[in-house]
Amino acid sequence: MFSSFRLSMTWVHTWFGLVLGYVLMACFFFGSLSVFDREIDRWAIPETRYEPQPMPSFDKLLLPIFKAIEPRQESYDEAQKEVHGPLPPREKMVAGEFGAYTTHRDPVLSMFSSFDVPNKPKNPNVDHVHVFGGVTIDPRDGTAISDDKLKIGSRFFYPLHYSLHLHWLDLGYWIVGFAALIMLVALVTGVVMHRKIFREFFTFRPKKQTQRSVLDLHNLTGVVALPFHFFFAFTGLVIFAGIYLPVTGPMFKAQAEAHEKIEEERTGLPHDPAGVAAPLASVDAMVVEARRRWAERDMAGEVGFLGVTHYGDANGYVSVYRAGTDRVTLTGQGIHFRASTGEVILEDPQPSTVAGIDDWLTGLHLQHFRHWLLRWFYVLGGLAGCVCIATGFIFFVEKRKRQHARSGSAGVRVVDALAVAAVTGMLVATVTMLVANRLLPPELPARGDWEERIFWLAWLLALLHAGWRSAPMARAQRSPAWRAQCLALAVLCVAAPLLNWITTGDHLFKTLSKGYWPVAGLDLVLLLSAGIAVLVARRLRHGEAAEGVEQENPEASHA
Amino acid sequence: MAKALPWFPLVSRILAAVAGGYAFAWGFTSLVIALSLQQGVDYDEARKLAYLLAFLVYLAVFLWAFSAQSLLRVWLVLGGGGAAMTAAALWLVQPT
Repeated sequence: MFSSFRLSMTWVHTWFGLVLGYVLMACFFFGSLSVFDREIDRWAIPETRYEPQPMPSFDKLLLPIFKAIEPRQESYDEAQKEVHGPLPPREKMVAGEFGAYTTHRDPVLSMFSSFDVPNKPKNPNVDHVHVFGGVTIDPRDGTAISDDKLKIGSRFFYPLHYSLHLHWLDLGYWIVGFAALIMLVALVTGVVMHRKIFREFFTFRPKKQTQRSVLDLHNLTGVVALPFHFFFAFTGLVIFAGIYLPVTGPMFKAQAEAHEKIEEERTGLPHDPAGVAAPLASVDAMVVEARRRWAERDMAGEVGFLGVTHYGDANGYVSVYRAGTDRVTLTGQGIHFRASTGEVILEDPQPSTVAGIDDWLTGLHLQHFRHWLLRWFYVLGGLAGCVCIATGFIFFVEKRKRQHARSGSAGVRVVDALAVAAVTGMLVATVTMLVANRLLPPELPARGDWEERIFWLAWLLALLHAGWRSAPMARAQRSPAWRAQCLALAVLCVAAPLLNWITTGDHLFKTLSKGYWPVAGLDLVLLLSAGIAVLVARRLRHGEAAEGVEQENPEASHA
Repeated sequence: MAKALPWFPLVSRILAAVAGGYAFAWGFTSLVIALSLQQGVDYDEARKLAYLLAFLVYLAVFLWAFSAQSLLRVWLVLGGGGAAMTAAALWLVQPT
């Protein structure tokens, strides 16, 4: 098909990179934001702006709350679709499993219950369907935080970067997975295309013509963070490998079941309930014992996850996992206790080599460790990825725009409009969501749903605006949508910290003097972004003036 | 990219890379698991090992699909190889 290896790799890089680049842009950007998801949550839910808390007392505080958790209606409806026959009534369901999860960055505690469903699943490869319920509390006194308040960081931006919030047939996961494969492909083909890889580390000629300096920047950001980009795309695939290559169900069902039996015997942790009621011993005493054992192994630490399996049953057990704040690898060092007596059943052994590698790769991606500088490097790496993708779009357009203008092709016009939406439009939508978060009435029912709708609507409007303003591309001139959206972004980025000040009283002088970084950090980043957006808009205006575009002052502020 | 590429071989090659590559990755995963099980490796361990390698294999065959001269060979190796490895895995783990 192609005359040389290099040409074929160039073709793959250009076209797959272009098509999946729009998806990758969102993955890299919202992935970068996810590094500080808990901090964004604090900004978005002002009543949770206090210091991170340790796991509270299970016996006194958590157990009564767990018992009161009801199955969530959506989860109930979802489960009903997956099983034969009608489910038992929602309010009659009894929880079989509890879990509470916190990290060194969480002032709030996430709690969930899982309810066993007696019905037979429709999918023969699934043995149980569960209905879930959950609540987020202030661990200091157990007050529930309303579900109407959306954790924008950890429940919206974070899942967006791996699922696109597209849950029909897991379509979002598959699109992101394919995009991740194409990221790997683009990195390898990119290296093949450019032989002078070492020189590209140090080459950036911003004063040259746009096409040249954009390509420099594309190569620089791609090469400098090459291992980072590769690892994130790769580990993302490995983390969700069970979704992408679901071989167990159709091919190894018997082996998986046999494995579960062996595991059950090896660990002594019952896979199924016994069906005999049994009480629950003091979980707080188990936590004390778990911490004593960690300290004995020279790994003193806090509890990250606390779970009860088969609650109220003679086969019940309690698992206490350590928060992995001191190492990269995903670690649990779980200690499991018999629920009825509190005796230790099992201390998790060291992982095998393969499991150890898998845990390390997963841990590298999920970063549960406590290291703020490294966290910022993650953000920088992710943003370098965004710059690499965005400059890829611009290079594609710059290279072809004159030729397409001559031949009357709309190709680059469409690509450019989509790029505006994927780059500045995405930023506008993100900050619009933060602004909406501060403007919507505090007690609005389903407030989070409104925030989400506003986010998608803002993004859609940015796309329509980009398409509407794309006409100059037909004359090989730059679309003014880039500049207009930069200015809109600047306005929004100033509005968000101002609204935060007005609605909560937490202005920068206060948060900085108290050293409250979750809110101070986001406010500062927003203001910095406003500054960058203004500078970019000014440069774009010079560029447009040089192209001989008429000045369009009134238009600049319409967004 | 000035001259137009003939669309049928191109579409066929893209499909071969994406779908054929996936079939190959599936077959590879299954076979690694089946062979590991034969060696007495624990199922969970075998699956993790296969998953760690599968995406690198997919990446390699995806690129090969575009660089190989013969499109027929690409289809035969990826589709046929994937089917053969899957069949071999099923044969290895069949209950005796």
